Amino acid sequence: MKRNVAIISVGYNGRFVSKRPDINIPELIQPAVDTAIGKTKLKHDQIEAYVVGNMHTFEGINQPHLWASDHFGGSKKPVMRVATGGSTGASVYQAAYYHVASGMYDVVMAIGWEKHDEGDAQVGLMGILLPEAFSLFNFGPDMSEDRGVAGLGGGGSTGGAAFQAMSYLTKAHAGIEHIDRVAAMMRSNAAKNPYAHLQQPGCTEADIAKTPIISYPLRYGHTCPTSCGAIAMILVSEEKAKKFGITDRVAWVKGLGSGASDATTGNIIEGQITDPAEQYMCKVVAKKVYSMAGIKDPRKDIQVAEVYSGFSHQDLMWPERLGLVDEGKSPEMLDKGAFAIDGELPLNPSGGVTSTNAIGASAMVRVGEAALQVMGLAEGGHQVQRKIENVVAHGWGGLFQFVTVTVLGRTPVKK
Amino acid sequence: MAQETRIIENTWDLTAYQWKIESDALDLFVKGLKDKKILGRKCPQCGTVYVPGPTYCRKCFRDIDQVVEVSQEGTLDAFTVNLADVKGTIVEHPYITCTVKLDGTHSFLMGVLEGWTDWRSIKEGMRVKAVWKDVTQGALADLSHFQLTEK
Ligand SMILES: [Zn+2]
Repeated sequence: MKRNVAIISVGYNGRFVSKRPDINIPELIQPAVDTAIGKTKLKHDQIEAYVVGNMHTFEGINQPHLWASDHFGGSKKPVMRVATGGSTGASVYQAAYYHVASGMYDVVMAIGWEKHDEGDAQVGLMGILLPEAFSLFNFGPDMSEDRGVAGLGGGGSTGGAAFQAMSYLTKAHAGIEHIDRVAAMMRSNAAKNPYAHLQQPGCTEADIAKTPIISYPLRYGHTCPTSCGAIAMILVSEEKAKKFGITDRVAWVKGLGSGASDATTGNIIEGQITDPAEQYMCKVVAKKVYSMAGIKDPRKDIQVAEVYSGFSHQDLMWPERLGLVDEGKSPEMLDKGAFAIDGELPLNPSGGVTSTNAIGASAMVRVGEAALQVMGLAEGGHQVQRKIENVVAHGWGGLFQFVTVTVLGRTPVKK
Repeated sequence: MAQETRIIENTWDLTAYQWKIESDALDLFVKGLKDKKILGRKCPQCGTVYVPGPTYCRKCFRDIDQVVEVSQEGTLDAFTVNLADVKGTIVEHPYITCTVKLDGTHSFLMGVLEGWTDWRSIKEGMRVKAVWKDVTQGALADLSHFQLTEK
């Protein structure tokens, strides 16, 4: 890319919560925008363009960005909406990056949000699954008793993830107790993040183990909540950052990339179900991103990871697929405390997606949290204290197939 | 302010959907099931065997048309245990959906797992075999389930 880009500000609308019946979507977004701008010396009219996104269909509102544009300052300015399922927030941020890196704009805002209480996420998911499910009906599946619905479980979120969890556990020679343990760590990390949704100070493995099984080996305590919340970030060019005199407390975008493998439900029809825990594309993308960022050994050069885990077993799986940990070694890393905020590789100091999941915001929250860690501005005790040079942020979505990876750092890559 | 929950009973006529996604893979697959055979396709370039067999190879990105009959035995890959029915009532005999890798194939087939007494003792890698309905009619339901052949 032509130019270096820095994230200069990250703003949330407030703490992520289950329900906000008192406000609507524009009112949810606006405080995040104001907070991001308020942390800088910029005025609203200095934002040249906006890239925004939420999960399509989940809120039952078709073009929320048009409704909200007056409220985030997008009136009479270029506004682009991006939706890629769970990875939406990261795709929005990547599009905003290209707006600036390409030389088209100097100051761009990225906004991701979800107001889950306005709609039904499960209905949204069914909207994705149904066309393929109906297609399967043409081939005479067994619809007796619960078989029809359960047989299609591969498309449901927890059902599909349960296969992945089982596959991961077997290959890593780990047990359900490891998922309990990492889930507990995330909820107690969340208690140190004033914006996190499910904050459980001192949450233990036993607390998680008490929750009922949803789809073995996944428990209720291993699944993400449905949250309401918004995040806004401001991205500027290197020249503008210098002009504003803000090259100190910023996070430089050093490398970024995205990829797609096979969609899960499409695979049922096409006969191409492969190991859901393999996540080959994550490995490919991570490698590419590290080389773009000039990182030779990610284990040495990356100090913190923010990964997108809608289900707790993924907090063990992603660090391996991102090349930060040997394959199958995450449970060992967890057991020796390496993933703790004061460990050798702090994993999701924010509490991660299993503690807070406003879908269209979640993948951008990973990037935003990575930026805050680089800037040293993570609030409420979840700032990693050791010296941070680079942080990796990861997003995941679609029907298991989209992956995004970003490396943010303290110093820009030389152009 | 009290929150009111409304329940609306309705029916949905699924036969209104007249279209289908073209799937040569499943056409071939159900054709085989009628004769109690499991058919897939093999890529002549990389040798990958897919079941059901698509008409292109995801690795080589080329058309493939070599139909192969594969083994009816394989190993259990992943599974999930449904301890309750759709309405949330705990069931006596949990319903287990699984992915199976049939011998000589490289993709996973989804199915139902039977032949176990305690689901907690089921492990990935256990041997399974396909069990058929008595009467087959060229439908996905012909393949009744996968049976564990080891305890
Ligand atoms: Zn091939």
